[in-house]
Amino acid sequence: MSGDLYDIRIFEPKDVMFSRGTGGVFQGVLDGKPYPELVVYRAFPFLYTTQYLSIRDAKGEELGIVRDLRELDEESAKELEQELQFRYFLPRVTRVDSVKQKSDLWIWELQTTLGPTRIAMRNLHEFMQFPGGNRIILTDINGKRCEIADWQALDSRSRQQLTDVV
Amino acid sequence: MSIQPTLPEPIRARLSGEPLFSVKTDLSSDGRFGDLWFAVTDQEVTLWDADGEPSFRLDVTELSEARAVGGIGGGTLLADTAGGPVVIARYTAALSSAFGFAAKLITALAKQEELPAVSEKEFPRYCPSCGNPLAEGTQSCPICKSKGKVLFRMLRYAKPYKAQMAAAVVLLMLTTVIELVPPYLTKIMIDDVLQPKNTGSALLWVVLGLGLTSLVMSVMQTVRGLIGVWVGSKLMGDLRNDIYTALMRLSLAFFDRRQTSQFVGRINSDSESMRQFMTDGVIWVSGESLRVVAIFVIMFGLDWRLTLFALIPMPFMVLVSLTMWPKIGRRWYQQWRSIFRLNVLVGDSLQGIRVVKAFGQEQTEMSRYSTANRELVRNNIRIEGLWQGMFPLFSFVAGIGTLLIWYNGGSSVIRGDLQLGVLMALIAYLGMLFGPLQWVSQMINWASHALASADRVFEIMDTPSDVPDARDPHPIGTIRGDVVFERVSYGYEKHHPVLKDVNLKVKAGEMIGLVGHSGAGKSTFINLICRFYDTDEGRIAIDGTDLRSISQTDLRKQIGVVLQETFLFDGTIAENIAYSKPDATPEEIMRAAKIANAHDFIVRLPDGYDTRVGERGHRLSGGEKQRVSIARAIIHDPRILILDEATASVDTETERQIQEAISRLVKGRTTFAIAHRLSTLRNADRLVVLDKGKIVEVGTHEELLAIEGGAYRKLVDAQKELSKIKGVEG
Ligand SMILES: Nc1ncnc2c1ncn2[C@@H]1O[C@H](COP(=O)(O)OP(=O)(O)OP(=O)(O)O)[C@@H](O)[C@H]1O
Ligand SMILES: [Mg+2]
Repeated sequence: MSGDLYDIRIFEPKDVMFSRGTGGVFQGVLDGKPYPELVVYRAFPFLYTTQYLSIRDAKGEELGIVRDLRELDEESAKELEQELQFRYFLPRVTRVDSVKQKSDLWIWELQTTLGPTRIAMRNLHEFMQFPGGNRIILTDINGKRCEIADWQALDSRSRQQLTDVV
Repeated sequence: MSIQPTLPEPIRARLSGEPLFSVKTDLSSDGRFGDLWFAVTDQEVTLWDADGEPSFRLDVTELSEARAVGGIGGGTLLADTAGGPVVIARYTAALSSAFGFAAKLITALAKQEELPAVSEKEFPRYCPSCGNPLAEGTQSCPICKSKGKVLFRMLRYAKPYKAQMAAAVVLLMLTTVIELVPPYLTKIMIDDVLQPKNTGSALLWVVLGLGLTSLVMSVMQTVRGLIGVWVGSKLMGDLRNDIYTALMRLSLAFFDRRQTSQFVGRINSDSESMRQFMTDGVIWVSGESLRVVAIFVIMFGLDWRLTLFALIPMPFMVLVSLTMWPKIGRRWYQQWRSIFRLNVLVGDSLQGIRVVKAFGQEQTEMSRYSTANRELVRNNIRIEGLWQGMFPLFSFVAGIGTLLIWYNGGSSVIRGDLQLGVLMALIAYLGMLFGPLQWVSQMINWASHALASADRVFEIMDTPSDVPDARDPHPIGTIRGDVVFERVSYGYEKHHPVLKDVNLKVKAGEMIGLVGHSGAGKSTFINLICRFYDTDEGRIAIDGTDLRSISQTDLRKQIGVVLQETFLFDGTIAENIAYSKPDATPEEIMRAAKIANAHDFIVRLPDGYDTRVGERGHRLSGGEKQRVSIARAIIHDPRILILDEATASVDTETERQIQEAISRLVKGRTTFAIAHRLSTLRNADRLVVLDKGKIVEVGTHEELLAIEGGAYRKLVDAQKELSKIKGVEG
């Protein structure tokens, strides 16, 4: 790897090690240098959720990119994935219990990978996004978000709930 | 009344002291949904699980600082301790404000500083009666607000025209009554004229009667139609005006988050569907219901027993209407959303048509369009199909009633219990019921369409401006031009501050140069002076008066701005220059253009000042556009002049000329100038260096240059370096 300031630094899997500190904070050793606090950013949060992960220090300076989480050793991969889940709070919807319009709020009752939740939207045209394919991103009035990875792949009852809203 | 749930008593009892702050977080520490109570006292920071058991505790003395680290869609509250950072709590985005505050509070506790005060707006707000979230800035809960309100509110638009609408309804009623005459005449014809073979003048009279009724009917229909058109057009005009006014009133933040070309379609289509319901809908409903009643009264009069057969299908139809109603509403909305997406797409690619062409992406745009278009076609078929299917269903069911009457009435006629004419009249009246029936399904359609539109329209009207005008604004007259920033923080996204704790005192007549890296917050700084956005914290004052208590019209009269993105309106150059001062004389326009160094090139154009610049001024070069907008900013002789990269697109020589002219103009005026080309700011009295939203250095060019390793010096060095490489002077 050259020290070129204008090039993207891609970490070799053997150069990185992630773990969790006693306080529950994500930390790691990069190129042999320990960092007590690290932050991870997805470069393509929609397209590549476990690839091209930008590792930054607490101040937000990029230290390098992990090309693919799966290349890392088990422990590091697990912590990195966990950290991604914390930082990118985007529960995946596993079931749509109901979509109701009550007066001018749309109330969604959902089962997600992180437990059941409820989303309220002021309208559908601004709070539902279709980033492509069959993906849907749902945003709550207060900014909470959930993701439907592929609405066609949901069970038939959930799809039934969605017929008139997608 | 507080709409914030309070800490449960059992937990409160177990705290070490009075809670300074408490909030219910919505994530457990493993990142799953879960309700936990978070409470801070002056000694400890605690977290309690749903059963009221402690799940985390940290002594205030153990920590040095707390930070709310925002993620995407959520965040984490961290504490820095001697043993490294520790996670206190996790939360979703809904609570970022609350935990942002918590972090400040804990830090203040740890450092033993003055504690910040809690304000209601830190909390997400929930309706006290139904527990659903309240949108920012609204007071009434949308769920607890009934649909009826929307209907009444919509009908209020018809109020000014109630005389005309009443006339239309009366005319409709009369037509209805008259319409009921021909079947009756037919009955007379069959029973009293044709069957008895009556050869007198009776036949002629009956036929004349039929002719007369149809003449009267067409006259009345015409008049009613004209009234309908008149009221409808007026109504729609009012609606469009109101929507547009509502849009103009909204703050920039509203438009930042939305693609603007969508509103073009919305103003027109939403007002159209509301009009349709109010004129056609209301008039027809009142007219047609009367007709239904009248028909039944006559039919009952003719033969009540047979009439009862006609009523058999009614309950079924009511039931179907009620169950279909929500579905139709949803499908209309769905169809509307696909139109919306299509509009956004068209607006987007046409606004960027130059880029599209430059990269030869017409094909991509076309295929994007046809995908969205296919979606619209599909939804169109779904909604139209649904209600096209509904009417035949209704007719069929109602037809069953007719069949029953035919059968039972027919046998009565054969037995001689019933006159043939009566049966024929009954059948004819029943046939007339199909008219209103069709309107029932049409009405369901219109009403749900209109209610959905009204919802969206009122949503715009009800959106409070983020920068509301003060109730009784402070008259400022002509200002001197002192500008003071006091501890100003601002973020476009709450809790992602772009400007942090900015303090600056600017004396009237001073010229301030703002420098800093791209994205440092320079444009944001001046956006706040113009009050395009309100500060999140701290205040900005002009001549000692808080910006928020000055009426925006007064304020903007005192400010001239050249924004970083030059925008010219579709119109002539003269109109564009005189935009903020429509009564400017030609001389004033020329003088302003001269100062902006635009006069020469304008006069050389074949159409001079009358050249139409077209949408966004595409017919001018980048630098020409900038000069026109400089002229626009200085024409009304503002006390505060704001130049955001105003001369970035002109050559250095032209820039020098504009600068000289401006520096003459600038005398006695407060000026804020932003420039990346630092030489542009050589006339500035003071330079303010911004870095990542903070003021890092303030001083004259010389003072700042003298700071060894200073931010300004680095910028200057970098530029010198650059011009050396290029071999030219910057
Ligand atoms: N309308 C907006 N909505 C959300 N974020 C914005 C908006 N405008 C600017 N920002 C963000 O605010 C930060 C500061 O932007 P600003 O326009 O003030 O920078 P600047 O100093 O004027 O930069 P430049 O020199 O490039 O014009 C940037 O990070 C930008 O992404
Ligand atoms: Mg800028």
